[in-house]
Amino acid sequence: MAAAAPTQRSNAKVAFMAAGFALAMLGLGFASAPLYRLFCQVTGFGGTTMRATESDAALAERLAASAGAGTISVRFDASQDRGLPWRFRPAQSTQQVAIGQRQMAFYTARNNSDRAITGRATYNVEPEQAAPWFNKIQCFCFTEQTLQPGEEVRMPVLYYIDPKAKDDPLMADVEQVTLSYTFHQAKDAP
Amino acid sequence: MATTADTFQAHQEHGRAHHDADHKPGFFARWFMSTNHKDIGTLYLIFAITAGIVGGAISGIMRAELAAPGIQYLGWWVQLMGGEANFDANLHMWNVLITAHGLIMVFFMVMPAMIGGFGNWFVPLMIGAPDMAFPRMNNISFWLTVAGFTSLMLSTFVPGGTGQGAGIGWTAYAPLSTSGSTGPAVDFAIFSLHLAGAGSILGAINFITTIFNMRAPGMTLHKMPLFVWSMLVTAFLLLLALPVLAAAITMLITDRNFGTTFFDAGGGGDPILYQHLFWFFGHPEVYIMILPGFGMVSQIVATFSRKPVFGYLGMAYAMVAIGVVGFVVWAHHMYTVGLDVNTKMYFTAATMVIAVPTGVKIFSWIATMWGGSIEFKSPMVWAIGMIFLFTVGGVTGVYLANGGIDDVVHDTYFVVAHFHYVLSMGAVFSLFAAFYYWFPKMSGRMHSELLSHLHFWVFFVGVNLIFFPMHFLGLQGMPRRYPDYTPAYTEFNHLATVGYMIMAASMAIFFVNVLYALLAGKKAPDNPWGPGATTLEWTLSSPPPYHQFETLPVIEDNKAAHDREHGRPSHA
Repeated sequence: MAAAAPTQRSNAKVAFMAAGFALAMLGLGFASAPLYRLFCQVTGFGGTTMRATESDAALAERLAASAGAGTISVRFDASQDRGLPWRFRPAQSTQQVAIGQRQMAFYTARNNSDRAITGRATYNVEPEQAAPWFNKIQCFCFTEQTLQPGEEVRMPVLYYIDPKAKDDPLMADVEQVTLSYTFHQAKDAP
Repeated sequence: MATTADTFQAHQEHGRAHHDADHKPGFFARWFMSTNHKDIGTLYLIFAITAGIVGGAISGIMRAELAAPGIQYLGWWVQLMGGEANFDANLHMWNVLITAHGLIMVFFMVMPAMIGGFGNWFVPLMIGAPDMAFPRMNNISFWLTVAGFTSLMLSTFVPGGTGQGAGIGWTAYAPLSTSGSTGPAVDFAIFSLHLAGAGSILGAINFITTIFNMRAPGMTLHKMPLFVWSMLVTAFLLLLALPVLAAAITMLITDRNFGTTFFDAGGGGDPILYQHLFWFFGHPEVYIMILPGFGMVSQIVATFSRKPVFGYLGMAYAMVAIGVVGFVVWAHHMYTVGLDVNTKMYFTAATMVIAVPTGVKIFSWIATMWGGSIEFKSPMVWAIGMIFLFTVGGVTGVYLANGGIDDVVHDTYFVVAHFHYVLSMGAVFSLFAAFYYWFPKMSGRMHSELLSHLHFWVFFVGVNLIFFPMHFLGLQGMPRRYPDYTPAYTEFNHLATVGYMIMAASMAIFFVNVLYALLAGKKAPDNPWGPGATTLEWTLSSPPPYHQFETLPVIEDNKAAHDREHGRPSHA
């Protein structure tokens, strides 16, 4: 190409295109907050467990029954934010569960302070490749929990392991899955 | 590359004095309302040197503290800043120092010097343009950067939680930067990044438009000098990375002040998200700091080897490749946050891929020197020093790229040694190389070769003595960001502090050299570096006229130049 005259493309056009790129990246930066949550929920990235309905669970149970799935050990872990005056523990340390079977586990939480506190639990499983197959039907982590001064509650988790986990090569040597919760003092979300 | 002064036939600017070319406005209008790319470049360089003195002095405070185990001087600094010295306040002072050192060196020293300083000065000259595309926007970019620096300096005088100032590290990770630091200091520091970032984005738009639209006739993209290529890639990295930082730190501001919970698990947010956003910006940022240096070293090595650079297209597209791949490796800064094995595997492999285009550049510089008529003038020794020391930092970079190894040395002094080898040696050596290369052109005065060489050798010994022992400290487990350490680490830390003193002495030589050149230096010819210096800036006077290239130079292509040479054999 010979001698592109500087007037062929206007400076303003190039500048506005460049500014458009910058604005698009700015928008993507802000959009990353909801996108990141969505990405983790869909893929189980970072050990984000799945949510299932009763009918999903029934389907999984039939599938497991026909395929003859084995058992797996689930370990329970609990911790709380340093500033939260709660005592939060699992009621059992492990459960040996049949894959595909619905299981109920309990955690207990006690508010040791003299004021009512609302908490919100974050959760994940380890190893992280188990997350796409770890389904919760009911969980205290789905909603915020408010404990009155000195109140102690038992909180259930209803879960099952998807029988399709048996076909996942990444799950081949996984014998135990740890389900972990951390309670934080809830902030009024925007 | 046919962009040579030999084939530049348009006209000699100073030979045909244009009566407007040297009309300069008065002092205030010239330096405070400047729209001239050379004046703005000079302002940026003066600003960067000033900020470098502040940032360098802060590292001196840190090295003094680290010379021996225990807390020696931090309490004194706390009291100087009007606080009450106690254990927490002393440690907070340390956090303030590392934060200020990092932010100043990255945003207010290296970037303004490379992009605002040398970029503004030489991109228009090298492509044969009269000025930048948007001269007024150029002025805004500079003063936004100054305002950003002012905001950062102000942050040290207001409360930041545990004490005065923002003690959040240059990464400003949540929750330390949100619920962990009350008080306005962190807001000032974040606002400083907003201002500097906005200035850099405007500057990037300016460079992209200038390079795309204002090249002289015949200067195709594939004939641009490599420094201009490096600035083009850098401008794109700035344009795509800085807005993400702006978004992330805006979310920090709203989390701090307006009750949002983007990075707070208690409200459904995730602090790890901040790290992803920060490093999505932060990794391209480290290439923003070194790519212009690659461009400078390419010009200098070619000049002083009297050869065109080896593998011009490979050199240009290696920078493009580094820029592109630089956007998909960010999580290697966060191997220890709990990434799963597959993610670590990907980021390890992708990070190592960057060694390929970087290797292309290193080997091409060596191939350029190979068989060349090498002159060890001051810019060349700094450029060769940069090639050697940047490679050392590159090797430890490949080592750190491994997710498994990083688990062991993450946040230790090994990492500190690595990034100082690529930045305070890679980037800073290329800055000094460029300074000595272009100082005669910018000022019209020759610096002292003797003092420049002396500066080089003393600086070389000093920085290596500071940072090489840090490899050992890191491998032995000394963590970053602490003012105290177990006595087992004393010897190497003491050695590093001695190295700092040697480095500081070399900076005195530098300033003496600059003063000597300005007060008593020989007048610089148009081209002080001989026939190896072939880019357009050497066809102009030293210093160049206030306005240049009012008649655009015409760059002939290779074939035309070849035909002309052979059509008129007497010409040679």
